[in-house]
Amino acid sequence: MKVTFKDVTMSYDGKTDTLRDLNFTIPDGTLVSLLGPSGGGKTTTLNLISGLLTATSGQIFFGDEDVTKKDALARKVGMVFQNYALYPHLTVLDNIAFPLKMAKVPKAERRKRAAELAALVHVDDQVDKKPGELSGGQQQRVAIARALAKSPSLLLLDEPLSNLDARLRIEMREEIRRIQRETGVTTIFVTHDQDEALHISDNIMVLSDGHIQQFSSPTDLYESPNNLFVAKFIGTPIINTIPADVLQDALAGIIPGEILERAETAGIRSEAIIPYDAGDAVLTKLSGSVTHSQKFGREATSDVTYNGQTILSTEMSGVPEDQAQLDFYLTKKGFFLFDDAGTMIYGGDLHAQ
Amino acid sequence: MAKTISKILLYVIVILGALTMLIPFLWMISTSLKTAPETIKVPPIWIPKQLQWGNYVAAWHAAPFGRYFINSVVVTTLSTAGTLFTSILAAFAFARLKFWGKNILFVIFLGTMMIPGEMLIIPNFVTLSHLGQIDKYGALILPWLASFFTVFTLRQTFQSTPDQIYYAAKIDGASDWKYLWTVLVPMSKSTITAVTVLQVIGSWNSFMWPLIVTNSESMRTLPVGLQAFTTDAGTQYQLLMAASTFVIIPMVILYIFLQKYIIAGISKAGLKG
Repeated sequence: MKVTFKDVTMSYDGKTDTLRDLNFTIPDGTLVSLLGPSGGGKTTTLNLISGLLTATSGQIFFGDEDVTKKDALARKVGMVFQNYALYPHLTVLDNIAFPLKMAKVPKAERRKRAAELAALVHVDDQVDKKPGELSGGQQQRVAIARALAKSPSLLLLDEPLSNLDARLRIEMREEIRRIQRETGVTTIFVTHDQDEALHISDNIMVLSDGHIQQFSSPTDLYESPNNLFVAKFIGTPIINTIPADVLQDALAGIIPGEILERAETAGIRSEAIIPYDAGDAVLTKLSGSVTHSQKFGREATSDVTYNGQTILSTEMSGVPEDQAQLDFYLTKKGFFLFDDAGTMIYGGDLHAQ
Repeated sequence: MAKTISKILLYVIVILGALTMLIPFLWMISTSLKTAPETIKVPPIWIPKQLQWGNYVAAWHAAPFGRYFINSVVVTTLSTAGTLFTSILAAFAFARLKFWGKNILFVIFLGTMMIPGEMLIIPNFVTLSHLGQIDKYGALILPWLASFFTVFTLRQTFQSTPDQIYYAAKIDGASDWKYLWTVLVPMSKSTITAVTVLQVIGSWNSFMWPLIVTNSESMRTLPVGLQAFTTDAGTQYQLLMAASTFVIIPMVILYIFLQKYIIAGISKAGLKG
């Protein structure tokens, strides 16, 4: 089911707006992540979709139907909560069957459907246990099965993986992706973990300060950020930011002077600083020194000093440490310029090379 | 070593406490098996020479205890069921719903807990006599269909259930009414059991009110019926104690079976009974 927000504003206290004039369309059948820092409005947006919250102004559509005034009961979405919110007094099977019971589905039929869902999420050997006897991952699977029980047109997940340990998180996010593909249900996933969002989403909506910073595919988000906030929020290690005038001389003649003049901040991804000339991919040659190198398992980082600015690179592992003087290359990909309002004015798709 | 001593001391205190609670009951059972002269013997005797089991038969026939028993069961069942029903609804409203004046109303109700029960006897009596309920089940049951203590205890438990469970139930298609009865009440089983038992015991043992609002023999409840053994000529202690024993037996059985829930429920709600 397609979800559309039209000028949606949400305020809890009537004074400050948690969300301001939100406009977006989530296409049918996709998995979309709402990503952003705490307090950015992700969960508020999700609760507006679920109907647990009512918008202060604006309209919300499911498909072509205006659901703005409908409550959670009437919207018929499926939802998975951060702490799973399973009913502790019911068995796994009864938990999954609960929405069907509320919908007055006959007992035999709902047991059959619940058993099918238990199999889909791989908890079919646990159906007679109470939630308290299950591990976190299993509880989360049950919560997903319950959310899917009434064949919802929308599946909403509110930070569903944040209570799991690192390894299980990776496993469960693949599971969520698999289940979404198998059922084809439009899925909206709230997370503050960019890694999670980048791995499972068709599209990511970055929310901060009650605004959509960017709504695009994971690749676009990384390779062509709309603004400095997104560039800094997405990607590890965090993007290098240096004052644009440091590069003024090096970029003169390569980048139109009109753009250089407006540029306030330069953003350089750590993989955009390489030690060899890669031909067409290179924007310009720079020279500086390597001051410090570190190795973390598969990854290595080096601090490159250029014009008094330190830039972190992940591509210099072959270069000996403490080089006083070194030529290195800045690639076109992963280099951005932002104006004083933080808007991207050079790089990414703007000047496709 | 110090640990062992403090442990021994602890046990001694606990055992003394238990004995203090138990001795009146043991004395009751002991007296119920004595002959009339033995009951007032000085120094008192704990074990009668010959156990007078016949006291129980005599006590049962001394008054229409069968009828009293039925009355007590009817009154206890209906007033407990009524209290639970009204308290669950009120507790849910106070714990979860938003309505105008909720907090003020709650404080006012809380204030009513400070009014001594004795003060309510006369107004309640007058009200019920206007309703023509005196010496009827109505008088025995109607005033006890609501208890703010129960509302308060349940509200504490209802409030401690996570919001997300409520939201999940909403999303799953449960109305407030369905959520209350299919999720919240089963989840609060131990507290509900605890308040139920407290209500049952309170109702079963209540003496003053049934004594005041009933005149005819056929409306008396068990505790009131125990008066039959106190006459102008004196008290037949052995029969009174025999009757007392069979009056409290149902409560003792109930308590033994449900004590697990009672203790869990009371400690969970953070309140003393």
